[in-house]
Amino acid sequence: MAAMLETDGLVAGYEPGLPIVRGASIRVEPQEIVVILGPNGAGKSSLIKAIAGLVPISGGAVRLAGVEITRVPAHRMVQAGLAFVPQTENVFPLLSVQDNLRVSAGGLPRADTAARIEEMFALFPDLARQRRLMAGSLSGGQRQMLAAARALIVRPRVLMLDEPSAGLSPRFVEMVFARLAEIRRGGVTVVLVEQNARAALAIGDRAYVLVEGRVAHEAPAATLWDDPVVAELYLGQRSDGGR
Amino acid sequence: MALQFLLNGLIEGSMIGLGAIGVTLTYAILRFSNFAHGDFMAWGAYSTLMLVGLIGSAVGTVAPIGPLSFGWPLILAGLGGMVFTGCLALLLDWLLFARLRARGQAIVVVMASFGASMALRNLLEFAFTSSPTYFSRKIQIARPIGLGIRITPDQTVLLGMTLVLVVGMHLLMTYSRTGREMKAVSQNPALARVVGIDLDRIVRMTWLIGGALASAAGLMVGVLVQIRPLMGLDMLLPMFAAAILGGIGSVPGAVLGGLVIGLSQAASVQLVGAEWRQAVAFVILVAVLLVRPTGLFGVQER
Ligand SMILES: Nc1ncnc2c1ncn2[C@@H]1O[C@H](COP(=O)(O)OP(=O)(O)O)[C@@H](O)[C@H]1O
Ligand SMILES: [Mg+2]
Repeated sequence: MAAMLETDGLVAGYEPGLPIVRGASIRVEPQEIVVILGPNGAGKSSLIKAIAGLVPISGGAVRLAGVEITRVPAHRMVQAGLAFVPQTENVFPLLSVQDNLRVSAGGLPRADTAARIEEMFALFPDLARQRRLMAGSLSGGQRQMLAAARALIVRPRVLMLDEPSAGLSPRFVEMVFARLAEIRRGGVTVVLVEQNARAALAIGDRAYVLVEGRVAHEAPAATLWDDPVVAELYLGQRSDGGR
Repeated sequence: MALQFLLNGLIEGSMIGLGAIGVTLTYAILRFSNFAHGDFMAWGAYSTLMLVGLIGSAVGTVAPIGPLSFGWPLILAGLGGMVFTGCLALLLDWLLFARLRARGQAIVVVMASFGASMALRNLLEFAFTSSPTYFSRKIQIARPIGLGIRITPDQTVLLGMTLVLVVGMHLLMTYSRTGREMKAVSQNPALARVVGIDLDRIVRMTWLIGGALASAAGLMVGVLVQIRPLMGLDMLLPMFAAAILGGIGSVPGAVLGGLVIGLSQAASVQLVGAEWRQAVAFVILVAVLLVRPTGLFGVQER
């Protein structure tokens, strides 16, 4: 059976001849949560940005549910079923919360939009109370909620998030990961890039460790934390002194 | 002090404001100062003039509407001129700006717009000479409307046109999908693509709207003042001042900025003499930027 999302020897970078992603192959099964770990600068963000069509791809392939989406323009990814939440600047600060959702729902049938916005507000009640507020004035945690709602409104098949817990207070981190688990139960496949490895592995099914633009290791999330290979590849990210 | 300057300023401000909408949108969405925008105004006026001539040669002389200096052919030609100038802006983008934008150096695009401005102006001078021309040479009688202010029928109608266009633009930006998408692109083009907005479509809309409104402003200048190849160049500084004054990206801001500049210019003619008129836009611009760098309607992003 075809994977929900798959990259095959993906090579991508910002300038010609300077690949940042250097032949990365990952495979995400339907309704899995796959975590992508790796040291700073490993190319994790670049990998998912390349999948989303934001970084030029110079080699390899990306497939979504068996359909090749390599080099599909970024604005068509939503239609293909792929949603992406960038790490920073992931909402429109000078649009209201409601208009952030509206402008992201362009791919939906017009009649569906209003109902779908209400569904998002039901999923994130915090946002509903602030629907007329400018997104730029939301707190960090609420912004992440809005960014997630914005991505989910189009009913994506795959949701990719870049460090959604970065900079959040522990209370919000817990909430974000609980929400992601819920979203997966709703049938969405999740790809999660995280520095907060412990929390991510707790909800993840499988994990890839990316080093210098390549997959250095792959393992079930439950065993990865105690894997000595990972400790070696992934030094500095473990604060609880595993070895 | 005679209050006539208020009306003169309002009219001048409307012309500046209509042009400034295009300037502010181009800057916000394409991120460059289009110095050829003034020439869109001139091309709008001349294309409207040509269309009036075409209609005239097809249907013969048409009587003016009531007390106005023009009849329905000018209205039709004005709409045609808006479409023509919108398409001219699109064409210029396709031929020139899009290619340079793709290379990613903003300053190159700005310099190209200087070149385009010169070329557009020279083409007009070549085709129509640099001497002024008019839609109509009929003298209009200005009627008093109180407080010693007088207004001509043409002025009344064109102020009404400005109001309709400005309100229409504001509604488009606030309530339409395209308007929201334009705002989204101006705030974060990469995120706009991520949420499924076709940047190329938004860029095309921006040129069409900017060109069409510049044409309307050109029509207004042409009817109320005169048509010259340099008419747009003279408006360039006031238009940029208005756009920056109002806050880049804000349609109501551009219009309000235009009114402030127009009224100040008219007041300065009365108070300190016409030779200072051009300096006024500049002085106001600098003063406002010192006090409020984001402009009147601008919002600090962080
Ligand atoms: N917009 C960009 N332009 C050029 N180089 C970039 C850009 N973004 C990231 N890089 C480079 O790509 C490499 C990987 O960065 P990134 O993908 O952000 O890594 P990670 O998310 O794993 O920390 C870094 O060396 C970084 O300098
Ligand atoms: Mg990163």
